[in-house]
Amino acid sequence: MPKPNQALTAVTGYQQALDLQQQLAEQGTDLSELRGNVAQQLAQLHPKRLSLRVDAIIDETPSTRTLRVSAATGSLPNFQSGQYINLFVTVDGTETARPFSIASAPEQRSHYDLTIKRMPNGFVSHHMQDQIKVGDTLQSSGPMGAFFYNPVYHGKTVVFLAGGSGIAPARSMLNSLIAREAEIDFHLLYASQSADDVIFGQELEATAQAHANIQVHQVISRPSPEYTGLSGHLSAELMQRLLPLQADPIVFICGPTGFNEHCQAQLNSLGIANRRIRVEANGTPNPPQQLASWPEGLDPDREITVSVQGRGQFKAKIGEPLLNSLERNGYQAENACRSGECSLCRVKLLSGDVFNPPQAKLRKSDRQFGWIHSCVAFPTEDIEILL
Amino acid sequence: MEEFDAVVIGAGNAGLTAAAALQLSGQRTLLLERHNIPGGCATSFVRGEFEFEVALHQLSGLGPQDKPFVMRQMFQSLGIMDKVEFVQEHELYRYVVPGEIDITLPASWSGLRDTLKTHFRHEAAGIDRFLALCEGIATERFAILPEIAKRNDPELLKARCPLFAQYGMQPASEILDELFTSQAIRSVVGAYWCYLGLPPSQLPFADLAMVLYAYATFKPWHVKGGSQALSNALLESFLNAGGSVQFNCAAQRIETEHGRVCAVHTEHGARIACDIVISNASSVVTYHDLLDGEAPPEVVRQDFRSRRIGTSAFVLYIGLDCPPEQLGIPCASSFICNHLDEEKAYARMKTLDAPEHTMLTCYNIDDPDFAPSGKSVVSLVCLQYGAAWDDVAADDYFDTKYALADQLLLQAEQVYPGLRAHIEQMEVATPKTMMRYLNTPGGAIYGFEQNAADSPLVRGHINVIPGLYLAGSWTSMGGFQPTYMAGFSAAEIALKARHNAEESAHA
Repeated sequence: MPKPNQALTAVTGYQQALDLQQQLAEQGTDLSELRGNVAQQLAQLHPKRLSLRVDAIIDETPSTRTLRVSAATGSLPNFQSGQYINLFVTVDGTETARPFSIASAPEQRSHYDLTIKRMPNGFVSHHMQDQIKVGDTLQSSGPMGAFFYNPVYHGKTVVFLAGGSGIAPARSMLNSLIAREAEIDFHLLYASQSADDVIFGQELEATAQAHANIQVHQVISRPSPEYTGLSGHLSAELMQRLLPLQADPIVFICGPTGFNEHCQAQLNSLGIANRRIRVEANGTPNPPQQLASWPEGLDPDREITVSVQGRGQFKAKIGEPLLNSLERNGYQAENACRSGECSLCRVKLLSGDVFNPPQAKLRKSDRQFGWIHSCVAFPTEDIEILL
Repeated sequence: MEEFDAVVIGAGNAGLTAAAALQLSGQRTLLLERHNIPGGCATSFVRGEFEFEVALHQLSGLGPQDKPFVMRQMFQSLGIMDKVEFVQEHELYRYVVPGEIDITLPASWSGLRDTLKTHFRHEAAGIDRFLALCEGIATERFAILPEIAKRNDPELLKARCPLFAQYGMQPASEILDELFTSQAIRSVVGAYWCYLGLPPSQLPFADLAMVLYAYATFKPWHVKGGSQALSNALLESFLNAGGSVQFNCAAQRIETEHGRVCAVHTEHGARIACDIVISNASSVVTYHDLLDGEAPPEVVRQDFRSRRIGTSAFVLYIGLDCPPEQLGIPCASSFICNHLDEEKAYARMKTLDAPEHTMLTCYNIDDPDFAPSGKSVVSLVCLQYGAAWDDVAADDYFDTKYALADQLLLQAEQVYPGLRAHIEQMEVATPKTMMRYLNTPGGAIYGFEQNAADSPLVRGHINVIPGLYLAGSWTSMGGFQPTYMAGFSAAEIALKARHNAEESAHA
């Protein structure tokens, strides 16, 4: 204890404060029991990195596989259905990453299912499908994302519009609902291109059969002549016919960008406000020049120079997201959603300009001071950044 | 090997001000931040169309332009006044116990007197006495006591700080009991206890008096763009002055040589040589986890024995699809209480049961730009100790969190009915969330408990490892103004020590 201050002895309550301090000191500890405590708690609840082992690879459709992964050490953290993990991979010498929704339910966490569809011009999805073997170890972020059901205000009626591999978070929600025996009416409208492309088809049908509160409707956009089920696009008319839209549902949409935009427009035309619609983030705009806000006449194939302050520079095309060109050139930036939302890939623009698409969820003051989300930033001229 | 004059660990309020002050004084400074963004508490996040303020409710200490106070001067010297826009709030708060009392206090010293007297006619004498005490004690404590306390003369202190000597260190509840006859007015004027984290029985009267006096006189302020704008502006000043920053880069170890600081090691394996380290990490993490060696110095361990981990908070960040007037929200801050018993409310803070005293802040009342047109941004907060969550199993975490969120909404709807039906976006933060982003034990938001034994008046300044300085809520008071000032003062102390060392080296 410090030496009492002579002057302060004139203050009523000073001696009592000293006494209290003495008393607390006698009962207290030197807090050494807290050594490592914060780090340890965070490692359990919100680990920065997960080390995952591939336990099985399941063929779902000709173009889709599920990687079933478990914790290489420790256990898998809890998450909310609809959340994703960001898988770090090295493809042809480039260290990069891609986010994947967890397709399994959080109630069983011996493993996470990661359902991966081969993208026609994909850089990472081919690697994920062709190079990864059972027994491999992968690094990922912890579970993240804001695409999940919130019981406090989402209500008891849930609609999920899934397109293609966008079924992954829906499957997690469905299985979670069943595991919890939650009193929620769940309506899934699931669109695939062909009957061959349907992921988890039999499982979903069986689930719907077994549970009165779960409805599953599959729709095929390009059916074969012999197909007898629902077909075509998810039209407003179809939604109105199949979904309980009068029950003020919360609507989740997850699929390709075009699918998401189409579904949202159909819902809006039926009077469903955006307030009740959640759209899953969906990667970078590809190609960006198709966005309505893309600067007129800007050639996405033109080359510009990206300088990283104090470290070097490289050439990149305007149409390539800054994060991707940074990674291709050996620069590392933290990242997770790669869709403009999570802001982990935030870097500072020191000079030059970039195109920020609407999906870049920039804070107001970040705009003011030149901070950008590199995963969805397109340099429109030579730029210098702080990394 | 990298080398800097100074390394600042953590870009919270204190870390940012310390880093900017050091760099502006010519010290080559590296700022390390484990997250991707500066600010610590002073930050924001985006969901849908909304940007949510994480922690700032009312900025104190700024003062109007024609009556500038310490913060305005400090921000001026750090070069951020032309980078940030402040918005004055016109009310202190609305205080409501449904069916019992509903009063809105203006942010004006004379207005406060009038409003209190109108509501509490029989307490007029007590109100005058109370306000005189608040003003007198705040003035004595801030302007006179720091010098007088050094003079070793109790009589002089009594003569120059008579009000502080008689009332300043007594429990606030005792003074309020003496001054007022009804519990309602005691609770109304004591509502800011939740900015300090302890009920009036455990708070020195001076602490409560100073908070009320400072807000009413120097006004509560909001920042355009939220506290993130302040954090970004401080970082901008730091960078413009030539400072270096690394985000996503936690400090892992503070290395000492012959008992003095010589380097900081980062999580990515870099060793940065320096002889000044200002740590904005909690003192517990700094001494037990970062500082090398087996155990912290004995003087630190002895200090820790009389400390207690302070409160955390449980917060609902809510985006509403309607303007505030549609729900009848009249001013930025509302204290919503079930009863007038702060002790009972405080006991609740150690449990997972429904909170009894909560606070609602609506950010677009004084700054309409803060929410999209026709919508609102609201925080609904209760204080809660992190320890309440220690026994919650991982499997139950989300259920527990939403069950408590539900309780907060039920309580808020007693005063603002229909709130829930207007929710468009919502995130819930628990003490574990605070821990995740602040890296503090128990997710504490104000540092240690600020009881009478915690006051700097009864604690010596610890300075045992040459070159190591702590700055933040763990070595001063919690809250925005105190932590900004703590960072600034840590930089001043470090600079003075360096200057003295250079002087003696030349001598």
